[in-house]
Amino acid sequence: MKIKFFLIILSALAVFSIALFCGPKWISPMGLSDMDRQILLSIRLPRVVVSVLMGMALGASGAVLQGVLRNPLADPYILGISSGAALIAAAGIIFGVTIFGVFTIPVLAFAGAMVTGIFVGAMGWKRGGFWPDRLLLAGVGLGFLFSALLMLLMSVSSNEGLKRAILWIYGDLSITDWSIIPYGVIFIAVGLAIAFSRAKALNSLMLGDDLAHSLGFSPGKERFILFIAVSLMTAASVALGGMIGFIGLLIPHIGRFVVGSDSRVLIPASALGGGMLLCIADLIGKSIVSPMELPAGIITAILGAPYFLYLLRKRDVLSI
Amino acid sequence: MYSASEKHILEIKGADFSYEKEKPFIKDISLAVDNREFIGLLGPNGSGKSTLLKLASGILRPTRGTVDLWGKEIHDYSNRDRAKLLSYLPQLLDMSIPFTVREFVGMGMYPYDTLPELTVDDAIEMVGLSSYADSLITNLSGGERRRVYIAMTLLQGAGLVLLDEPLANLDIKYQIELLRLLKDLREKRDMTLIMALHDINIAFQFDRIIMIKEGRILGSGPPETVLTRERLNEAFDVDIELKRDDAGGVYIRY
Repeated sequence: MKIKFFLIILSALAVFSIALFCGPKWISPMGLSDMDRQILLSIRLPRVVVSVLMGMALGASGAVLQGVLRNPLADPYILGISSGAALIAAAGIIFGVTIFGVFTIPVLAFAGAMVTGIFVGAMGWKRGGFWPDRLLLAGVGLGFLFSALLMLLMSVSSNEGLKRAILWIYGDLSITDWSIIPYGVIFIAVGLAIAFSRAKALNSLMLGDDLAHSLGFSPGKERFILFIAVSLMTAASVALGGMIGFIGLLIPHIGRFVVGSDSRVLIPASALGGGMLLCIADLIGKSIVSPMELPAGIITAILGAPYFLYLLRKRDVLSI
Repeated sequence: MYSASEKHILEIKGADFSYEKEKPFIKDISLAVDNREFIGLLGPNGSGKSTLLKLASGILRPTRGTVDLWGKEIHDYSNRDRAKLLSYLPQLLDMSIPFTVREFVGMGMYPYDTLPELTVDDAIEMVGLSSYADSLITNLSGGERRRVYIAMTLLQGAGLVLLDEPLANLDIKYQIELLRLLKDLREKRDMTLIMALHDINIAFQFDRIIMIKEGRILGSGPPETVLTRERLNEAFDVDIELKRDDAGGVYIRY
């Protein structure tokens, strides 16, 4: 297991390095010109960092949620958190809100995500604990409502912000710069730390609430803590670069195939795997039709869907 | 942790419980369990066996009355401290998650910060599954999976183990194997076992039978004194009788 994990870390470092130096223009790490240095530090590095952060948040969130909800189809977006973020942020873009300067969209997205998270959490809470089915149904119901409101908003809007809003919703990393990254790092690091510290509780929750209780955990409390971790990571991820599909669903399943189901290994492995997939997707998206760019979310779906269908044939892998 | 003078390791006093208001499901149950007892909780479907075990394990809170573990109200323990004293295996076990046997059994260490006296491999060996240690539990038979849970319980090291119908849906071979394993472990590890069952055939394997119907205790004591024709008829609503043959075997006459 240690060797496997070491190989995953090495692969992640290799992918991150490739994403940094490859692209529409190859930059050789040997003998960097001033221009190369400028491109690396101001454009490519923040973009790689954001894609790694978002991928890590989504991969780890997916691994946690599939365990918490005991549902192999769960992903960070199933709880409606991202739909809430998208609705508020897209509204901000369309109506030209600039109240927080360059941070307006991320702040609106984060606020939308957290308010939705609190609402879904309140709906899922009953008799002193979080109930997986209630959380899931509340999230799906709210997600549909927000998606409908978003479509309504976009269908009655015709201004310049519309295209930008659509690009952002499908995950657009082209507008990243350093200013927002420290906030993303903080929220995602806190979320990851909480999730990793409760990995044993997550393992026992997967066996059922009664057995989790027998092993010394309070299922309702543990689910609440893990829900907070997922909400923080998802909100930060959406605020950084919009909605990127498939990573939260696909990566934990690949992770189980490679490192097994133990959350103590699966959570960090899914985080690294998510970071790698989004880096690769963004690299392809910005290189394949250069100088145009395809949103990374479209590439993750195109890459992920066939592989997911392949995994679907291996039923064992698709259980939580 | 506890003194030898505290005889009852589990004591339920005047417990009521209801899932719905005004509809009591468990009614004024009192019982005491002593160290190293092997108790069968017998009753028909829906009699309250599982609910009583959940009350005893602290999963449910009685609406009236108390549950004491080693002389202290069970809900006054921290979750981890309780887990070191009492272990509960539910009737419906989720075996769909592809953990390996070693990963699964290793969860028995979760209540501890330091390694317990037993290792994961020791526990797996005690239930006879050493050759399956790295297998996925999804690939094991029903009987083997139950053994994996027993191994996890052994590692957890709790002196009191509550098992909800552990023999349900097992072939007779696995039922006998598991029953022998549990009795053997009780002897070797000084464990106290309370097991819910609805199969009268195995009732004579226990030190004590607690018979329950509609949330009330109909009788408690050695199987020979509790399993009378009258009480069985009352519990199961059918005219049955337990008979012994010349070889000492027990069979049901109906």
